This record gives sequence, structure tokens and C-alpha cells, in this order.
Amino acid sequence: MRKDWQTLELCDRFFDSIERKDYDTLEACYAPEAVIWHSHDSLYQPRADNLAMLKRGMETQPKTRFKERRVRVFEGGFVQQHTIYVTHESGFVGQMDVCFVGYVRDGMISRAYEYFDTGQIDKFLPPREPER
Amino acid sequence: MSEMANVMTEYEIRELCHEFFDAYQDGRVDVLRRIMSDDCIVWHNVYGRETTRDENLEAYPNSYTGQRRRTYNDRIINAFHDGFVIQYSLNGVMHTGHKGALWICIVGRVRDGKITRIDEYMDTSKFAAWMGGPRA
Repeated sequence: MRKDWQTLELCDRFFDSIERKDYDTLEACYAPEAVIWHSHDSLYQPRADNLAMLKRGMETQPKTRFKERRVRVFEGGFVQQHTIYVTHESGFVGQMDVCFVGYVRDGMISRAYEYFDTGQIDKFLPPREPER
Repeated sequence: MSEMANVMTEYEIRELCHEFFDAYQDGRVDVLRRIMSDDCIVWHNVYGRETTRDENLEAYPNSYTGQRRRTYNDRIINAFHDGFVIQYSLNGVMHTGHKGALWICIVGRVRDGKITRIDEYMDTSKFAAWMGGPRA
């Protein structure tokens, strides 16, 4: 039986955990076999690598927020559209429009697809220091 | 007619999604105009702004510049109560003979058998590889 509220709760818990820098909760959202695909390289990133990347972000970025969240649940997963705002150490606030499609098994994200435009990376990453 | 009569089934939403992409593939602007509501909004992450149905359809021929053929493949469609999300490969053959591919995700909203909103996510950094270089 489809239980939309459980999937919605998982989606919120996943993104809220990143905002709150709650690594344990974040890790528990991923199924053991989870893989994460990104549109910039069209590759499936293993669970451990993705978690390491997110953990690094939690440790180095002062603030991450997912705003304008629009979530819809379908049989076996969810789609969330949002704008991510990342406050960098320099104070620069980067932003990116993202579409995240998550497939769910036993209450955990087993596969995810993340679409965004790296052609607009200058809006997301802080300006680089000129090389000396 | 009861209010429920206007609720689209998951099957109908999937069919509408396929009809939209088949029409886009075949250049059937007349079909697109019929299945997009008059007030349909099209938003592209590339531009970060909303356009109307008519603006979008008027721009359709220009979107084919340099391209001989486009096909919308590997369609993974998931439907929800008021719309769908589709993940697909856009394969193109250019006039130079170059073949390119883009991986795109679209979230669509539907009402009364028509598409009322399209949100398109693509990666512009892949456009150069998609078009290929000039003919040798």
C-alpha cells in the first residue's frame, strides 16, 4: 500500500538533516545500496562517496538551505524541486535551482538523480582568488 | 458532471506526457498547442524565467537550428496526482553529422487533460558537446 506521508517525511528528513548538519540522520536516509546520479557527469556516485562529500560540506560551509521546496510523491519515490542556498566561509551565498528525483525502498532512498545547470556554477561557487 | 470526472488517472497523465514528447519530437506544434493549456507556463532553469505557451511554441523552429533530427529517448515517467516527472535522454543528429546527447528532467503539472506548467532542468555546460564542432 502506498503511504505518501511516509515518503514525504523521508524527503523532509533528508533535506532538513543537511540543513541542520545532522550527519547521522542523513546517513540513515540512504539505503545500503544507495547510489546518487548527477547531471553534470552522468555518473552514479557510490553511497560512501556521496556521504563523504555531504559531510565535508557540513564541516566547511556555515549554512545550507533548501528553499522553495515543491515536493510530489509518486509510486516508489518522490521529486523535489528547490533552490539551494549555500553560505560559504567567505560569506558568499551561492544558489542553484535543483530537481531531485528520489527512489525509495523500505523507507530509505535507494537511488537518486540530481539535475542542475553547471553552466551557472559562478552563481553557486564563490569567485576564485586570482593566481599569483 | 461531477467534480471527480475531471481528475486525471495515472494512465491518462502518462499518456499525456508521452503525447507531449512525441509531438515535440515530430514537430507537431498543432498538437502541442492543443495539449498545453492556454495559460500554460514554461520555466527553464537555464534562463531562470517563465515563458508563456505561445512564446515557447513560436521559438520552437529556432530551437532546431543546426539540427537534423531530435529524439526523446529512455523516458522514465512517474505520475502523481496533478502531474508527472520525466527523466529522459535527448539524442540529436546535427547537420554536420555529429551526434549528441543531453540528459534532462522535466516536471509537468496537469489539469483537465492538459499540461498547465513545465519546469525544465538541463545542463548548459553540455551544450557545446551536444552540438559538436563545425563541419570539418
